[in-house]
Formats: sequence, structure tokens, C-alpha cells
Amino acid sequence: MGLSELLSTYGEKYLQGLLATWSMTAVSFVFVMMLAVLVTVARVSPYRPLRVVGDLYVQVFRNIPGVALLIIIAYALPELRIVLDWRTCVIVTTILLGSAFGSENFMSGINTIGVGQIEAARSLGLTFTQIIRRVVIPQALRTTVLPMTNLLIAVMLTTALGSQVPLSPQELTGVVSYVNTRATGGILAFLVSALCYVGTAFVISLVGNRIDRKVRILR
Amino acid sequence: MSQEQAAEKNVPVIELRHVDKHYGDLHVLRDVSLSVARGEVVVIIGPSGSGKSTLCRTINRLETIDSGEILIEGEPLPQEGRELARMRSELGMVFQQFNLFAHMSILDNVTLGPREVLGQPKEEAEKYALELLARVGVAEQAHKVPAQLSGGQQQRAAIARSLAMRPKAMLFDEPTSALDPEMINEVLDVMVELVRGGMTMIVVTHEMGFARRVADRVVFMADGQIVEEGAPDDFFDHPRSQRARDFLDSIKGH
Amino acid sequence: MSAARTLSMRDALYEAPGPRTRRRVRIGTAVSAVVVLLAIAAVVRQFWVTGQLAPRYWSLFLQWTTWRFLGQGLLGTVAVALTAGAIALVLGLVLMLGRTSGVRPLAALCRVVTDFFRGVPSLLLIYFFFFVPAQLGLKLPSFWMLTLPVALAASGVLAEVFRAGVNAVPRGQVEAALSIGLSRGKTMRKIVLPQAVRYVIPSLIAQLVVVVKDTTVAYVVSYPDLMQNARVLITSYDALVSLYLVIAVIYILINYAINKASVAVANRTGVKIVR
Repeated sequence: MGLSELLSTYGEKYLQGLLATWSMTAVSFVFVMMLAVLVTVARVSPYRPLRVVGDLYVQVFRNIPGVALLIIIAYALPELRIVLDWRTCVIVTTILLGSAFGSENFMSGINTIGVGQIEAARSLGLTFTQIIRRVVIPQALRTTVLPMTNLLIAVMLTTALGSQVPLSPQELTGVVSYVNTRATGGILAFLVSALCYVGTAFVISLVGNRIDRKVRILR
Repeated sequence: MSQEQAAEKNVPVIELRHVDKHYGDLHVLRDVSLSVARGEVVVIIGPSGSGKSTLCRTINRLETIDSGEILIEGEPLPQEGRELARMRSELGMVFQQFNLFAHMSILDNVTLGPREVLGQPKEEAEKYALELLARVGVAEQAHKVPAQLSGGQQQRAAIARSLAMRPKAMLFDEPTSALDPEMINEVLDVMVELVRGGMTMIVVTHEMGFARRVADRVVFMADGQIVEEGAPDDFFDHPRSQRARDFLDSIKGH
Repeated sequence: MSAARTLSMRDALYEAPGPRTRRRVRIGTAVSAVVVLLAIAAVVRQFWVTGQLAPRYWSLFLQWTTWRFLGQGLLGTVAVALTAGAIALVLGLVLMLGRTSGVRPLAALCRVVTDFFRGVPSLLLIYFFFFVPAQLGLKLPSFWMLTLPVALAASGVLAEVFRAGVNAVPRGQVEAALSIGLSRGKTMRKIVLPQAVRYVIPSLIAQLVVVVKDTTVAYVVSYPDLMQNARVLITSYDALVSLYLVIAVIYILINYAINKASVAVANRTGVKIVR
């Protein structure tokens, strides 16, 4: 099958796939960030139970294979009378996985600040809240631009888990397996999806690098 | 009012009474008592591990103490909250590692305290900050970030940051120990200027020349204790204790 | 002083509490403990009311045969992960060497290949090896249908890891080596690589986690790994929830151990570098 034939037959499928991948990535990433902040707050809170739960959360979702988590959410949760639609299953999986890594990024962002600056802020008479707001958060955010850019790409790649459940519309990886079970798509069928991923990743890292250069903290 | 002012004159700015502190099994401060009068410059010297840095850091509660009392202008050092923050805002602290806020310009470093803690408007804070930066000789660096400055410049900016709070006293925790030799004097010069201006200061340092030149009193510490104290000339020329003699000899060797 | 320096940053955010703060922390700790316990109770209750705690879902784990079958699956997982890891190691090194070779077309090619494998999901690569060789009339064993894509996906990342290691070798050493007349290739082989490899060993170990995770889609190509064997057990015992949970825990523990090993090696070699 040539490129023109492939695109004329399945072009719309690919386009829908691209949009599905993009939209799932965007929705997931917003929640990844929110949850990562929440988990990080729990992990740096002075309350031991919250710290333990936060650390456990990160260890679990950093180490569980995406497929295993998706299968649990998509097929085990219904047995516990928690039924989510397929798209939500994929997004929730992606959010859980992504937020664990997001929290790790925030933690290492906080770790680069150094005790000395906190002590200096304390000595000036800044309160805890002021220190967090004016010293910790700005630095943690600015040092995590690049890691978060990479995380956004990772989140996009994770949405490929959508190919493991009957999504409608399918995302980019699902489209490829759809095409191949119906026709001999050959290498081209893969290349179209792959280029969509690579192209998106390229744009994301371009933007991320630009932002990073603007806000990077010299040390 | 006048009575109060008169009373305040006699009350030490900083006073430690029988302070003890442990790090686990290590007894880092043993029954330390020290009183610093207004305008007095006290230089603390001693071998590393003698507890002199810890002593300096207990005064604004960067380190807690196990027992004893710390009084600032006769008031006990608060243990937490806004009271502690307010007390700290009245004591300037300069660190060995400068500890400037890496994400802010030098100017913002200096104005952060006045604006956040004292509630000064931006213009006022910046005007005074620029004045201070000029005084310590880094006015041209005001809009750079700390990493673009030399160590000496950073430390001078850090001193300006503390001064911006118009502190009652300044604490210096080995302010020149992290500096390249050629930058030590530019920082010491700024400190000498402060002494001339009548600032109350506690300085933990290894710079014996500085101690001899500007200290009203030299305090020698070893093993968490104040071993002896006295006027600089007396101390350096006629140390009474064997520990102090050994220490001074070991430094001369360099 | 030294005690303050060894504080972790998240503890350093807080100063030694005064009496009021201590009370507040105690209350917060108690409240959060209750909340956590309630949440756990709610989860257990959900298992209970849906009958998922029934012995028939869990008794299979008392049988030796269950564990033997899962163990066989685990061996499959390990075989794929190690083979894929080894291939990725070689391929990653080759890609990095190509990229830093200074030969322009080769460098560009290696860069494109590296970015490609880093930029596509491993699932897409797995589908590729599942469909395309068959379409070309090639009969690939399921082991390789799984191992090759996992290896390719990892090779892109490893190439970057190696490159970071090479960049971590001080430039002065390269200059010194070149100035005493070593060729570029010799400098790379004798001076740069041995050090770079030592720098990146912890990262390489950590990357094994990604490899293990990628192998879990073995069921796509019907390769009997841990996950696939679990699926077989699920159909024979009709114990979906318990089996998937146990499998997930096994994967988490494996990957946790790999991460711990990576950190341990980093700490150990860290000491070596200082000496």
C-alpha cells in the first residue's frame, strides 16, 4: 500500500488519532501537574502519615508497569463496582503514572535550593509561608521546566496505552493496529503515527527548551 | 520614656545565660554565658568544632538550645511564630556560604526582607537598597543574579541584604572562610566600616588581624566552652590558658 | 553545624518546632492518620461488599502450582528484559559513538535514530514487530517480537545516557590525551569511555526498570511472561482482581529493588570517585 492510498483510506483515522492523542495528553498533563503538586505537598508536610502515603504513592506508580495499571483500572475496578469509560481509564492511568514522576521532579527541584537559602530567609524574619511562596516555589518551578517538558513527552507516549482498550476514536497507536488488522499497512502505516509522535515531541521540547532558557536559574 | 531609654542602654543587646546544647552524644555548647553591649564588637575565635558557629546560630534560633536562656535586649528569644520572625528581622545574619537567593537579582535579594517583612513600598525599599549596595561597593551588580558575582561581591551583597532590615545587631558566621584569599579584604573592609558606624556585632572568624584591629573583646572557645575572653591585645599578646596558647601557636605556623 | 547540613531538604523547610508548633503538628499528624485509616477502611470495605475478599479468589495463592506458573512467567520476563537490556546497551553505545564521531552524515543519522526511538511509544514498536515481519513473510519467534522493540526503545534512551556520561568527563582530559598524540578514537576508547561508563552505571541500572515495564505487553505477541501467565491463570481460576493486584505488587517490588540497587551503586561509586 502506498502513502497516497494509505492516507486516502485511513487519513481521517490518523487525524482523529492524532487529535485523540493530543487531547488525552493535554487533559492528562493538567491533572498530572495538579496531582503532582498535591502529592509533593503531602511529602514535604510535617505530618508523618501524609509523608508516608505520599512516598508510597510515588514508589507504587513509579514502579508499576503502565499496562498493569491500565488493566487494573479498566478490568479490575469494575469488579469492585467502579466503572469508568475507556477513555477515562487511559487518562486516569496516565495521570497516576505521570504524577508520581512529576512529584519526583518537584522534589529534586526543592532539593536544589539548599538549606542555606532557607536559613537566610528565616534570618531576615520571613515566615514559613513567605519562605515557601517567595523562595521555595519560584525556584522549584523554574528548575523543573526541562524535567517537566520531558514528562509531558512521556505522558504523550503513555497515552499509547489507549491501544490496549477499545477506544473510540482511537489514538495514534491504536490506529496503527486497526489499520494493520484490516490491510497490509507495512512500514508506512507505522511511520505515519511515529512521525506524529516524534513531531509532537520535537515541538514540545523546542518550546520547553525555550522556556527553560528564559527562566533557568544560574548557579 | 526617657527612663525606658536609659534602661535600654544598660541592657545588653544580646545575652546568653548558661546555654547548653547537644548533638546526640556530642556536647557542643557547655554552659556558655556571653553578654554583648550596644555598639560592642565581639569576635569569637577557636579551633574548628569548638562550637563557635553553633553559638552564633543559636542567637537567632537557627539552632535550638537544650537549656539556658538567650535574651535579646532583655527579652527572651521567642521559640516560634511571628514573634520569632520579628526578633530575627532585628538581627542581621551573614553566612559563610553567602546564601543569596539564587533566583533573584541582587537588588531583589536586598529588598525582599524590607518589602515582605517590614511592608515597605517598592520605591522606598529599592532606594535604600541601592544606597546600601553602593556603600558595600556592588551597586553596579544590582541587576545581576548572584551566580554572576564573585564570592567577595556576593558576600558584600549579603551584608547589604542584612543591613536593609536596619538590624539592632549583626551576626557574622565565618563570613570570609569560603572566599578566595584576594577577596577576603574587600569583605573585611565593609565590616570595618560597620564597626566604625557603631554597629553591635558578633563575628565568628579565623581572621586574627581583623580581630585585633576592631574587636572590643575577643572570646576564645574550645570544646563548646568559652575558655577565655578579653581585650584583643591582652588576649593575643598574653593568652592565659594553655588551649589559647596552643591555638595561637598553631595559627602562627601558617 | 554538620548535623544541620545533613538534613534532607524536606526537613530543612521546617525549623525545630516550638511548643505551639509541636502541638499543631501532633494534632495534624493525628488527623491525617485518621484520614488515611478511613481511606484504607473504605477500600477494604469496597473489596468486602463486592465479595472480592472471598477465599476462592485468594486460595489459589496457597497452591504451589500457582507460584510455579507465575515463576515461569517471571523467568520469561527476566529473559526478555536482560536480552533486550544487553542489545540496548550495545546499540545505545553505537548510537552515541556515531553521534559523537564528528563524521557529519553519520552523526546526523545517529541523532535521528536516537530521537526516533525516544520519541515513539514502545507499544508502537511492538506492534511494528508484531505485524510487519509477518507481512514480509518473516516468521519471528514471539520472544524476538517482544525483545527487539523493547531493546530499540531503550537504545534511544541509553544513547543519551551514554552521551551524558561522556560529557561528564572533564574536557581537560580529552585535551591532554590529544596533546600527547593519542588519536580521537584512542582517546575515546582509552580515556573517555572507561570513565563515562563508570559515571552512568547507576543510570543504566535504573533504565532496566523501563525495560521491565515495557515487557509487560508480551501478551500482544503471546509471549509467556509474568503478565501473560497471570492472564492464563485468571481465565482458569476466574480470579481477576486478586491476580492482577498480586502481579502488580510483584512488578512494583522488582522495579523498586532495581531502583534501590541503582542508588546503592551510585553511592558506592560516588565514594570511589572522591577517592
